[in-house]
Amino acid sequence: MGASELQTVGEVRAFRDARRTDGTNVIAIVRAILDAMRMTARNLFRKPVTVHYPDKPRVYPDRYRGLLALVYEKDTEKEACIGCRLCEFVCPPGVIKVEMIKGEKRNYAKTFTLELYACEFCELCVQVCPTDAIVMMKSFDLATADRRELLLDKDRLHALGLQHEQSWATGNKLRDMQGPPKLSRTVEHAPKAETPA
Amino acid sequence: MTEPSIKRVELDYTGSERLTMNMGPQHPSAHGVFRAVLTLEGETVIDVDAVIGYLHRCHEKLAETLTYAQYPSIASKTDYVAAMTSEFAYVRAAETIGKIEVPKRAQYLRVLVSELQRVASHLLWLGTWCMDMGGALGGGATIFLYTIRERELILDLFESLVGARLLYGFFQVGGVRYDVPDGWIASCRQTVDQLDRRISEYEHMLEENPFFMARAQGVGVITRGLAESVGISGPLLRGSGVNWDLRRAEPYSGYEDFDFTVPVETAGDCLARYRVRMVEFRESLKIVRQVLDRLPEGPISSRPGLKSVAQTRIPKGEAYARVEGARGEVGCYLVADGSAKPYRMKWRGASFSNLAVLKHIIPGHKVADIVAIMGSVDPVFGEVDR
Amino acid sequence: MMDFLIPVIAPFVVLNVVVGLVTYVTLLERKFAARMQSRIGPYRVGPHGLLQPIADALKLMMKEDVVPTAADRPVYNLAPIVFLVPCMLIFATLPFAPGLGVADLNIGVLFFLAVSSMEIVGLFMAGWGSNNKYALLSAMRAVNQVISYDLPFVFSALIPVALAGSLKMSEIALAQDGLWFVFYPVIGQLGFVAFIVSTVAAENRAPFDILEAESELVAGFRVEYSGMKFALIQLGEYAHIIGASFLGALLFLGAWSGPGPEWLGPIWFLIKALLVFLLVTWVRWSFVRIRVDQILALSWKALLPATLFLLLATAVVVVWRTNGGF
Repeated sequence: MGASELQTVGEVRAFRDARRTDGTNVIAIVRAILDAMRMTARNLFRKPVTVHYPDKPRVYPDRYRGLLALVYEKDTEKEACIGCRLCEFVCPPGVIKVEMIKGEKRNYAKTFTLELYACEFCELCVQVCPTDAIVMMKSFDLATADRRELLLDKDRLHALGLQHEQSWATGNKLRDMQGPPKLSRTVEHAPKAETPA
Repeated sequence: MTEPSIKRVELDYTGSERLTMNMGPQHPSAHGVFRAVLTLEGETVIDVDAVIGYLHRCHEKLAETLTYAQYPSIASKTDYVAAMTSEFAYVRAAETIGKIEVPKRAQYLRVLVSELQRVASHLLWLGTWCMDMGGALGGGATIFLYTIRERELILDLFESLVGARLLYGFFQVGGVRYDVPDGWIASCRQTVDQLDRRISEYEHMLEENPFFMARAQGVGVITRGLAESVGISGPLLRGSGVNWDLRRAEPYSGYEDFDFTVPVETAGDCLARYRVRMVEFRESLKIVRQVLDRLPEGPISSRPGLKSVAQTRIPKGEAYARVEGARGEVGCYLVADGSAKPYRMKWRGASFSNLAVLKHIIPGHKVADIVAIMGSVDPVFGEVDR
Repeated sequence: MMDFLIPVIAPFVVLNVVVGLVTYVTLLERKFAARMQSRIGPYRVGPHGLLQPIADALKLMMKEDVVPTAADRPVYNLAPIVFLVPCMLIFATLPFAPGLGVADLNIGVLFFLAVSSMEIVGLFMAGWGSNNKYALLSAMRAVNQVISYDLPFVFSALIPVALAGSLKMSEIALAQDGLWFVFYPVIGQLGFVAFIVSTVAAENRAPFDILEAESELVAGFRVEYSGMKFALIQLGEYAHIIGASFLGALLFLGAWSGPGPEWLGPIWFLIKALLVFLLVTWVRWSFVRIRVDQILALSWKALLPATLFLLLATAVVVVWRTNGGF
């Protein structure tokens, strides 16, 4: 009789008590206990999985989403950020604030503040950046006793970009990974329906 | 519908007074912040009154202020232990309303990460349940550390795929955000094999173990009638004899292409739920292997490039999309009004509905059984309080 | 002169050695448990964590002594001492080498068993004096459990006594010169297993430690103790378990007998006692705990009849041996 036919409290109790282990099968009990102890003993002789951080450095994978930083353009050594504010608009908790200043050939960011203490590390700002200016680093070590140090301004962000190793992901790489642009045109979107079921 | 089968617990005590005890929001066997006001008579629990809401973070209101591209990384914070399936529900709802196609490769990748996430979530469940029953200084902690060690393997896989370990932001409307890097499939296969072996070790430690059986067998019986009427889902339902798994009943995202069995046990007690989850481990690993063998080429998103982060407008409509999360049915009811942000989002958390069964099954048990029952119900309070 | 000095110096030396041993046994347990859990134990305090117990002791000594306002002061303050003294007193009768011991009484084993049960008084005083419902509940459960398991403890300790024919500890150790009692067919092994199980349970160690780390009885009877008083209770617990390990090594594993010269005897004794302790620790870190009603059921329904039966079988064997057959 399964649990599907039980209706009253008394039946539940009887059902529950009847299903208790029969404690008289001593051999099975002893074997189970020894089995469990054997597992523990086996792990006694395995190498511990502890990583002696921070004495030994931790190996970060390529795509690690760590600290945020701004980078310079490779060929011209100028700041890559053009102050377009797309990252500000896409950020879910809204931690980025950018002010643009117009230049002759291209624009720059006058100020760029990122409140790292509220950042979610979701990488959406990296994904949206048209010039691959904001990237994430393979490190998260910015622990501090003062929260104001985590309010990163533009200089701090550029310094971080030079200090740590950059992760693989940049805006163009992330967008290209999702499918070649020409393919997107072949996937038709359904016409805007009125009220689907 | 039939009424719940247990209405009143009769106890034949003579005289002793009732004690009201508070298992407060902070307690050592916490699965999160959960307050249970217990009424005890001696050692037996007569009534339990669950108080929740300590982790309320206004997800549903927050979704009204965020676009469809921004919210998936926040959706992982509801069921933070199984974050992939949480994002899945939201993204599916948006795609259902907007009639957005998801390419085959993206569908298979979604299945892959969902099943890996299920394994990781069940590993955490096993560890914390045994730790609650066994104590932080004792045999429970041993199993906890073993399962966490195995979970680290899966989290390392996710770290090389996504870059994050717990809260991913892997899903986006129209597909997924990241493709598999080189060498990931090989290391995934290796990890899956290693997990298979280690899960056998846990079974050796726990199956037939008299101490474990004494704590788990016959405890917290959910009868089938109660299970069908209270609205629980997931392993709780399948442990009470109801053969209902969304991956089989309403296949989504390519689950119909894969071959797996849905475990069902009829006993309804903690041991049955434990057995269901142990079989689910292996079935999930089976699905992962099938996906790795058959992963097709192609784009990983039908809205690639800038469209993925742009302010997509989903036309007016409403849809309820549900997925089979590790804890049960995770659902998202989305009302879109044609703008870039939803008009209303309602989240059906699996643990919220699962907690409703506590009032029916805990009375009659001893105090020490409460932790065993709570552990086998496996609530995550991010889902309960949202 | 020496006759006067030795009875004064010997207990002092033994006490200090025991306290030192107990503190380092906590480190041994932590490292052993850690290795079983795929991690390393204390590592940073001193080389490989060797100064960790000293750091813990210093920390506990420096902690504020918080006494609940409504606590029953004399009872509350005396409880750790009443708990600790019997746990230290048991080391008085243990002979660490032939002739090397504080007091090798004629009734050594009886003294050990009787005194080690006295700690229940201290335990209950701790629960009562704390004026805390949950401490009291846990203390009552603890008393229940310890009393229930003292009986199988005594009976399984009586098996080697019957085999050796004396309650004097050194004679029991000498009787194992040829063959350790644990190697006696069936009764030796079963007696050892029963001894280990009842020790683990009488000492409130996992898997029978329901009163220590449950969700409502966070630390059991010692929930209201902090600082040095807590250190005394911890000391008492570990001293009891080490003392019981020494007793187990003496009763079943042949105490000081082992290959090598005579002066290696105490070292072998220590090693055997630590092996028994590691066995107990191994059991602790492998199993989840069972409920208190299941613990008591195990004692009264399974362990007590089993040890009684074993004792009866031992008596039959002894009579058969001394008469050279029936």
